[in-house]
Amino acid sequence: MRTPALAAGVRFRRAADGSAVLLIPEGVVSLNGSAAAVLELVDGRRTVGEIAEDLTRRYEADPAQMQADVAELLAQMSSKMWVVWAPENERQP
Amino acid sequence: MSAPYRPLSLLAELTYRCNLQCPYCYNPLDLRAYRRELDAATWCRVLDEAADLGVLQVHFSGGEPTLRPEECVALVRRARERGMYSNLITQGTFLTDDLLDRLLDAGLDHIQISVQAPHAELADQIAGARVHQRKIEALTRVARRPVALTLNCVLHRHNIDQVEDVIALAERVGVRRVELANAQLYGWAYRNRLALLPTREQVERARDRVREAARRLAGRMEITHVLADYYEPYPKPCMNGWGQMFLTVAPDGRVFPCPAAAAITTLRFESVTEKPLAWIWHESESFNAYRGVGWMPEPCRSCERREVDWGGCRCQAFLLTGDAGLTDPACSKSPLHALVTRITEAITAAPQPAELIPRRM
Repeated sequence: MRTPALAAGVRFRRAADGSAVLLIPEGVVSLNGSAAAVLELVDGRRTVGEIAEDLTRRYEADPAQMQADVAELLAQMSSKMWVVWAPENERQP
Repeated sequence: MSAPYRPLSLLAELTYRCNLQCPYCYNPLDLRAYRRELDAATWCRVLDEAADLGVLQVHFSGGEPTLRPEECVALVRRARERGMYSNLITQGTFLTDDLLDRLLDAGLDHIQISVQAPHAELADQIAGARVHQRKIEALTRVARRPVALTLNCVLHRHNIDQVEDVIALAERVGVRRVELANAQLYGWAYRNRLALLPTREQVERARDRVREAARRLAGRMEITHVLADYYEPYPKPCMNGWGQMFLTVAPDGRVFPCPAAAAITTLRFESVTEKPLAWIWHESESFNAYRGVGWMPEPCRSCERREVDWGGCRCQAFLLTGDAGLTDPACSKSPLHALVTRITEAITAAPQPAELIPRRM
């Protein structure tokens, strides 16, 4: 299972009012609730599966559906170069 | 009425001093008037006030900001402490490993380094100094660090035919973000407009080449291409609207809705040395002058694009017409659009561009 990390120069920030943004080089991306929930868990240690499991528990969602949604969102973020895939050997226990 | 406006982004111009003489600089012509610069303590207060206003991103620029290295490090640290994202916009000639270490330790998120052209001879000629090789070294060193890096090249008549080589240079040094920005015609660039503006043919050829490269490099390199508004049907939505998302603090402490606004002599701009930033943002006459759509004349007022383009750029309207409250003449719907087409036609007809005047203090 692959491990996502925020790319260098990309930061997640949640404001006091609960709204969340991704801070990227020279820009601010507003995040909807589900994107924020996923990105908040991207830390370079949790795998895609672990993030999906966490969210499945929290939202009492269908595990297979959640797995697919999380993978798709992270793939999109990766194509924009906001998310990178951490090498397996750099994973922490 | 001013309550909903919140700035997301602050451009902090630490100094207008620079060791280069790029003729496309958008800094004001009267650079000497900005010799008295805000000190570090005042800048820290400005960052605190900006964070309180809701600013999320700070761009440290100039002039050349790293001519004040101690301030750069201290202010990047303060921005990080206040949760703000920091960008350093530099030409890279002073970016030693030691300064880089300290900036990254302070929490710098992104560095943008400019090159004047892809090859040394033309690049050094435009910069007015032999610096190209040092810039390449800086790019190479930064590319290995855990920080976002953008290679920026300002495009104009003399280098726009080399866009592919700029992209190839970025690939070679391992840069993943490239910004190719047609010169914005303000300050020194406005003075040099007849020497800088490319021909329509050059602009279109460059657009095709950049598009092709962006397709080829998708997922590996992000390429931003800022077009020349003189050749576009609609004006650029300058700053996403006057006083709506963006503010600039100049080296002397004056606060502008747009980095080029000092040219608008019909407005008085307040300084952070005299007024709180929040008051300037919400209450000052200058920030409210062209906010929203209420100020708009025709054809903007009834235009379906009024909240897309926001009337274009106030500074450009002032430079070209003497009235910052008119539709940006870059818009094809402007009754004064001929002020722009007259220039583009002259460019296309002239066999040789006008002579470049280097930026000097």
